[in-house]
Amino acid sequence: MSELAFPSDADIEVDDEPIRDRIVDRRRFLGRMAAAVASAGMAGAAPSLFGAAAAAPHQAPGVPPDPDAYATPRPEALADPTELTIAEAATLIRDGQLTPLELVEAYLARIAAFDGTYQAWNLVLAEEARAAAVAVAAGPYLGPLHGIPLAIKDNYFTAGVPTTANSFIFEDFRPPFDATAVARLEAAGAITLGKTQMGPLATSRATTPAGVITTVNAWTPTDPSVNPGGSSTGTATAVAGRCATSGIGTQTGGSITGPSNAQALTGLKPTMGRVSLSGIIPLTYTRDHPGPLARDAKDAAIMLTAMAGPDPADFRTQGLPPVPNLVRAATPTFQGGGRVRLRFPTRIGILPGYTAGTSETAGARRAMAETLAGFGRATVVDVTPPPELDALTGTAFNNVRLPERSEPFMPFLRQDLRLFGVSLTSWLQGALLGANEYITGQRAKLLLLERVLDDLFSQCDVVVQTGPVPFDIIGLPEIAFPIGFSAAGVPIGAILGGQPYAEDSLLAVVAAYQAATTWHLRRPPDPPAVAPATLGVAAAGTTGSRQLTAEEVVEQMQ
Amino acid sequence: MAPVPPTDTELDTMIRARLALIGIDLDQLPGTTDPTTGTPSLTSVLSSLRSFVRGSVATLAAFQLPAPAGTPGEDAAELSQQVFPPALYPSITIGAWTKPRPA
Repeated sequence: MSELAFPSDADIEVDDEPIRDRIVDRRRFLGRMAAAVASAGMAGAAPSLFGAAAAAPHQAPGVPPDPDAYATPRPEALADPTELTIAEAATLIRDGQLTPLELVEAYLARIAAFDGTYQAWNLVLAEEARAAAVAVAAGPYLGPLHGIPLAIKDNYFTAGVPTTANSFIFEDFRPPFDATAVARLEAAGAITLGKTQMGPLATSRATTPAGVITTVNAWTPTDPSVNPGGSSTGTATAVAGRCATSGIGTQTGGSITGPSNAQALTGLKPTMGRVSLSGIIPLTYTRDHPGPLARDAKDAAIMLTAMAGPDPADFRTQGLPPVPNLVRAATPTFQGGGRVRLRFPTRIGILPGYTAGTSETAGARRAMAETLAGFGRATVVDVTPPPELDALTGTAFNNVRLPERSEPFMPFLRQDLRLFGVSLTSWLQGALLGANEYITGQRAKLLLLERVLDDLFSQCDVVVQTGPVPFDIIGLPEIAFPIGFSAAGVPIGAILGGQPYAEDSLLAVVAAYQAATTWHLRRPPDPPAVAPATLGVAAAGTTGSRQLTAEEVVEQMQ
Repeated sequence: MAPVPPTDTELDTMIRARLALIGIDLDQLPGTTDPTTGTPSLTSVLSSLRSFVRGSVATLAAFQLPAPAGTPGEDAAELSQQVFPPALYPSITIGAWTKPRPA
């Protein structure tokens, strides 16, 4: 393992411009990196040699925590530690006003009271979390994640701990090592509170392998028919229901942005390669993206900062643009009169029809656009999508991903098809797609990327999204955030997409929006405390059927 | 002249043969959905796979990557070979984040 530390953000000038402006010119980029390497005493090291131990965060050891990662707790958060954001909890823990064990115990109490209703967790690691809290408290201070309890989707490897992906295939699997993302979060002081429910092998909303719905939307806990989002449902419900401070999921076809929008969270799907996929059960190699589901933009930035960076175990993370100061990007700025100002001048693109209509969603979108337009340095612009966008992101080109799920699972497909339970169909579809068609799909991805970068991003810097597929196909970043609620009290969300490795631009826009709005501060009321077995009976009566069919899974699948 | 589209029976034979060739036995599937495992029935799986082959596979096979702008129509197929090579991970290619783009 290389001992090289990644150049710190202070070495590479991050305050004055977003990373999109710093990386577009390779010569300029390499010149900056050479200077950064030299200033860090690493002369002679090639910029591509950023490899560090997998568990090491990208920031250099000994760098003091970013002061922007801390926030003064709100009164309601002081009254109930489960209400704290990461930034708020970090302040209390740093200042000795809250211990990691107290925070863990607060969440365990809520889980005991309400997870019979939420069914967000596959496995709660209560004793392990308590022990970790004690150990973290006894060690050196590690930064804003010091002692923060997290919800981990059950497709992330956790060494020696069951990692099932809600599949018969992995029901007895105990991985021999941690996923890099988990290892990095724990190295930064975070505590794994448990493993969360998910769609079987990350296909649909959370169900058992046989398709029986488990996790509910924390905003509609007595109505399982309300979709809580995609396969990262358990993490979303755990965070929204204040059963963890934050959490991580994966997105192949919307499973970070979907659950985040459904449950009033801020979810960040990073660019492909920004976070290592080592130690994550694959659904689609070229489209799986690990990322945080958090309570606001600042928390998402803190989480991604710990998760991101080169990993020797994953070539996709190597030789990429540096991780910018995401926490600072997620810190809103203000100008005269207290008016919110974007950290970076940003053109925010609105697609045709995005705000049209009389629906509650359309109204929330119009209000969001008006709010954004009122910020300093913000320009809201109508944009025209590339003419090929619909064709290149439709069902056929979306299905190009399917051989990537069948190939790694061939031993199991040959062994027993029932191992795939309700999710079987798409694995068989993948085995039927020919190599010719797969290659056509890979060529079309480059065409799509070129059109998006040359056509769409010539008109704007970030752009609203109406679905996750286009940017999931080409690996571009997206951020989901709440922009309102329906009359029935169900969250309404928006998604912004960005340029490659421009997570900082996305965070800056959403942080500014959250400085001017309060949607992200709303929490669902406590659900009725119902034992799991009782809920199953009651919910079956509510929905008529609580077992998804294989056809429904195909419709929902990532 | 376009070939005659295959019938359902022909597609079922192709699907079964292709999967059997790589070691996947569709005859494992139950006659009706298995409520214990959620495994769909053979009938429903074959129906879904026929739709997939007729839809996605056929659409992708018929797709023609565009030729560079300004290419004469008669050269489009030849010159389209010169652009858009396969890219598993297009966003991590260096051109995705270093190529100067229109302002």
